[in-house]
Amino acid sequence: MAIKEKAWYPIVFMFIATLFFSAILIAFGSFTRQRVQDNERIAFERAVLEALPIDLPLKASPPAIHTMYLEYIKDSTDASAGALRYMKNDSLIAYALPLEGPGFWAQIRGVIGIAADKKTITGISFYEQNETPGLGGEIVKQDFRNQFIGKLLADKDIPLEIRMQSVLLDESSVHAVTGATQTSTRLGRFMNDQLMQWLHAMKETN
Amino acid sequence: MLGKKKTKDVVLDALWGDNPVFRQVLGICSALAVTNLVINTVVMSVAVIFTTALSSFTVSLLRKYTPRVVRMMIETLIIAFYVILFDQALKAYWPDMSRSLGPYVGLIITNCIIMGRAEAFANANPPAISFVDGFFSGAGYAIVLLAVSVVRELLGMGSILGIPMPYFSTGLWDRWIIMVMPPGAFFTLAIIVWILRSVKLAHEAKIQGAKK
Amino acid sequence: MTFGGHMIHLVVILFASVFTENILLARFLGMCSFLSVSRQVKTAVGLGFAVVFVMTFTVALDWLAFQYILQPFHLEFFRFILFIIIIAAFVQFVEMVIERYSPALYQTLGIFLPLITVNCAILGASLFMVIRDYNLAEGIAFGLGSGIGWMLAIVAMAGIREKLTTARIPAGLQGPGITLIIAGLMALAFIGFTGVLSGR
Repeated sequence: MAIKEKAWYPIVFMFIATLFFSAILIAFGSFTRQRVQDNERIAFERAVLEALPIDLPLKASPPAIHTMYLEYIKDSTDASAGALRYMKNDSLIAYALPLEGPGFWAQIRGVIGIAADKKTITGISFYEQNETPGLGGEIVKQDFRNQFIGKLLADKDIPLEIRMQSVLLDESSVHAVTGATQTSTRLGRFMNDQLMQWLHAMKETN
Repeated sequence: MLGKKKTKDVVLDALWGDNPVFRQVLGICSALAVTNLVINTVVMSVAVIFTTALSSFTVSLLRKYTPRVVRMMIETLIIAFYVILFDQALKAYWPDMSRSLGPYVGLIITNCIIMGRAEAFANANPPAISFVDGFFSGAGYAIVLLAVSVVRELLGMGSILGIPMPYFSTGLWDRWIIMVMPPGAFFTLAIIVWILRSVKLAHEAKIQGAKK
Repeated sequence: MTFGGHMIHLVVILFASVFTENILLARFLGMCSFLSVSRQVKTAVGLGFAVVFVMTFTVALDWLAFQYILQPFHLEFFRFILFIIIIAAFVQFVEMVIERYSPALYQTLGIFLPLITVNCAILGASLFMVIRDYNLAEGIAFGLGSGIGWMLAIVAMAGIREKLTTARIPAGLQGPGITLIIAGLMALAFIGFTGVLSGR
């Protein structure tokens, strides 16, 4: 009887094969883990810098981003209600408020920058999203994000409205991404909820 | 030189005669969703070719030792192994791309083409030729998807590979938003399948006519 | 959130996954069997039920495995293999149980079960459950909804294709070509549901 026909053979074979392939994957996984974590960290730091009025070179290298981040960005305090602080020569220039909420496909994570007056938007940036490439995914493009710069937070339930393309804009609204109604609506919803919460918390603490 | 002729046949079959996409419309689930941008499709195609070629090679390498009862499990394991490798490498070395492809790289595991080639070819053939078969089956699939993505990005976004195209990116062209949305993928693929099949049917009719 | 709020939240996930985010028409998952097993309404219904059943349970099982096995050991990238194994094992198990206890059900449903292991929609539902950070209840609502949505799409497609058998379709467009065009039109129609759920 050949070894292949023994009853124990399939089980042993399956076991060895699983062990072999898993071992390679685990080795490769731990080899790249540090890099993957660094990538995530840098993506977040870049998003924070991009949302603030900082001249970030378009092709800034990861170490350069990290150095800039350490130099300018200070952790949040009770007085900033969860927002990171952009400090220059010991004076506060702007807040960077992390945003997070459900998009069309998955969680969208980003950062919105608000000037020290707690009113003027300095920029917005996203470091994690799985929206449809070419549609909802366009929220990461300059065309969409640049609209936010200089907008003012309105003193109402929706501080920063995302409107359909056909509706005219005012100083507290931006246009949605064409064809990506769902992403735009959802982003608008959680962004405004979190802005409201933050404005409210800032009023209470200060 | 039987071996040489065989290689050529395998390649031609994989690309044209038995092209999995337009012959049977197989295995499009994992990739159709990302065909609205050419660059995403290129990366997905590379992932599919990488997985089909290497998993066919490995399945063939192990075919004499693999017990029949666990064959499918082993094949799945091998395919998953290569997909995870690719996914992990993308995460580590091209994080932007990894983010924009989302879960679709992982879904290559369930791509019927890869399993199909492993079952139908690699199980019964030596490793080298299985590798060639896997490689070109993946390539045949990639060509069709690339065609879909070029049409969709050009008509929907006015660009190819993100580069604005003359005429299409100007005000003269009203962007077809529907092309970037899901229905655009179905329509474009349908039309490409239609054209290729008509060409093939005409070709076959000609051969039949010649025989008579 | 109150209990009522929770229920509404779950119902929204359920309906969204049936209509606006239909796993097949908006996410392109489960296309292979959708194109090849949609010739007759009767078989489409059988396969549809099998998908609903398997998807609901495997999303729940995969959620447990991810939460209690993969995350504690930092083996998240292992989910592809583990999920596939769980799906394959579950399908095998269900097949055995049905065959043993209900031969009648096995006659109608059993033949579809092997087709399900290779249905990407099943694995896809579990992968989306992970990237969306769903909790168990949300995951089950999503799995059930995606299954129903998939079934709805394939049954509708089969109904249309039955009517098409007598239509004169250009030779090159027969089979997959015309099915893709119908799928495109259905996807367009499903996009129309988007407005219904835009409220909270």
